[in-house]
Amino acid sequence: MANYYDIDDILAEEELVSVVFQKAVNGVGIDPSSETDSVEPGSKVELPFWLAHELHLRQIATMKLPPCFNQKTRLELGADAACVDLRSRCPYFYEFGCKIAPLVGDRDMGSFLLSAFKNRYQEVLAKAHTAAFAAASKSLTVLTKEETNLYEAAQSSMAAFKKWRIGGPRFQKAAVLGRKRKPTE
Amino acid sequence: MYGRKACQLVKELATGEKEQLTPFNSDQLDQVIAECSQHYSELQALIRNMQEKGLDVQTTKNEDHFGALVHHLSLVRNKRCLMSYLYKRAEILRNLIWKVGTMLPQEIQEKLSHFEEEYFKKHSASLKSYMSRIDLDLAVDMVPPKDPYIQVRVLDDIGEGIVLSDDKTANFTCHSMHFLKRTDAEQFISRGLMEELTG
Repeated sequence: MANYYDIDDILAEEELVSVVFQKAVNGVGIDPSSETDSVEPGSKVELPFWLAHELHLRQIATMKLPPCFNQKTRLELGADAACVDLRSRCPYFYEFGCKIAPLVGDRDMGSFLLSAFKNRYQEVLAKAHTAAFAAASKSLTVLTKEETNLYEAAQSSMAAFKKWRIGGPRFQKAAVLGRKRKPTE
Repeated sequence: MYGRKACQLVKELATGEKEQLTPFNSDQLDQVIAECSQHYSELQALIRNMQEKGLDVQTTKNEDHFGALVHHLSLVRNKRCLMSYLYKRAEILRNLIWKVGTMLPQEIQEKLSHFEEEYFKKHSASLKSYMSRIDLDLAVDMVPPKDPYIQVRVLDDIGEGIVLSDDKTANFTCHSMHFLKRTDAEQFISRGLMEELTG
C-alpha cells in the first residue's frame, strides 16, 4: 500500500472513464442525465476511475477505453512520439494506461506505452541536460506529470553539478522560505 | 459530491511548488467532512430500505445494495484524499526542521493550522531531547568544512547581544561583517538573515 498517500496516484485515479451500467443502481445522483436519483441499466455515465474500477470488478458496469488511448493517439505516437501533446489528453498518461490495461482487455497497451515512453524519454533527457531555462519551456507543456518529474530531477542534478564545479557558497537560504516580503511598518 | 471536493484539496498540494506550504484550507476540509456525513446518511437510508423490504442485507445484490456500495466507495475515497493531504503537510513540516531549524519564520507559521503547530513543536522537542541524549548536533552540515570559521555579512537586523557558542556576545546590525564559527552562522544563513562571503 505504498501508493495510499501518493498524490500522483490519487490524481491519476481521478481521471474520467466512460462506463455503461449493466445493473440498476438506486439512491445515487451521479448520472446527470437521469431525473431521479437512480441509474438505469444500459445508461452511459462518465465516472472517475476509482469508482469505475470497483464497479467494473463487481460487474455492475463495464468500462470503455478512454479517448486518450484511441487509435488516433496511437498513430500519432507511432509517427513522432516526442511532439504529441500528452498533457492536454491525459496528464497521467502512463499511470492511467497501466491501471486500465488489465480491465479493458487491451493486450498491446503495455508495449505501446513502453515504446511511446522510450521515444519521449530520449527527448526529455537531451533537453534537460543541455537547454537553458528559457528555451525548453515550450516543449515542457506537452509532457505528462511523470515526464515533468524526470525532467526537473535531471535539471536539478545538472545545476548541482555545475555549482559543485564552480565551487559556490555551501550554505544558502533554505529554498522553502521563498521570496521575502519586506514587513510593512 | 463523490470525491470531487476532496480531490481539489489534493490538487492544491500537487499544483503548489515543491516543499512550499499553502495556507491550511480548513473550509474545504469541513466541506469534505460534511459530504462524508451526507454519504453516510444516504448509505444508512438505503440499508434501511433493504431491511424494510425484508431482504438479507449481507447477500442480496439489488439496486439499493449497489447504491450503498457507491456511497461507501465515495467515503473511502474522501478518507484517502484527506489522509493524504494531512500526511503530505506533516512530511513537509518534518523536513522543515532540518532546513530552517526549530524556530519557524512568521510567514510559514501563519499558514499552519493549530494542530500542525502543535505537531511541529512536539516533533522538534523530541528531536532536541534525542540530540542532547546522544550529545551530537545532527542539524549541522554533513560535510566537514575545511575551515571552522567563515566570513559572513548580515542581511537583516537581527539585534544585539546574541550569545554565540563560545559565550561571546555579538552585535549583528544590518550590513556588518563578522568572522564567525561555522556552526553558529549556519542557522542564520539558512533563515536568510546572513550570507556567506566567499573570496
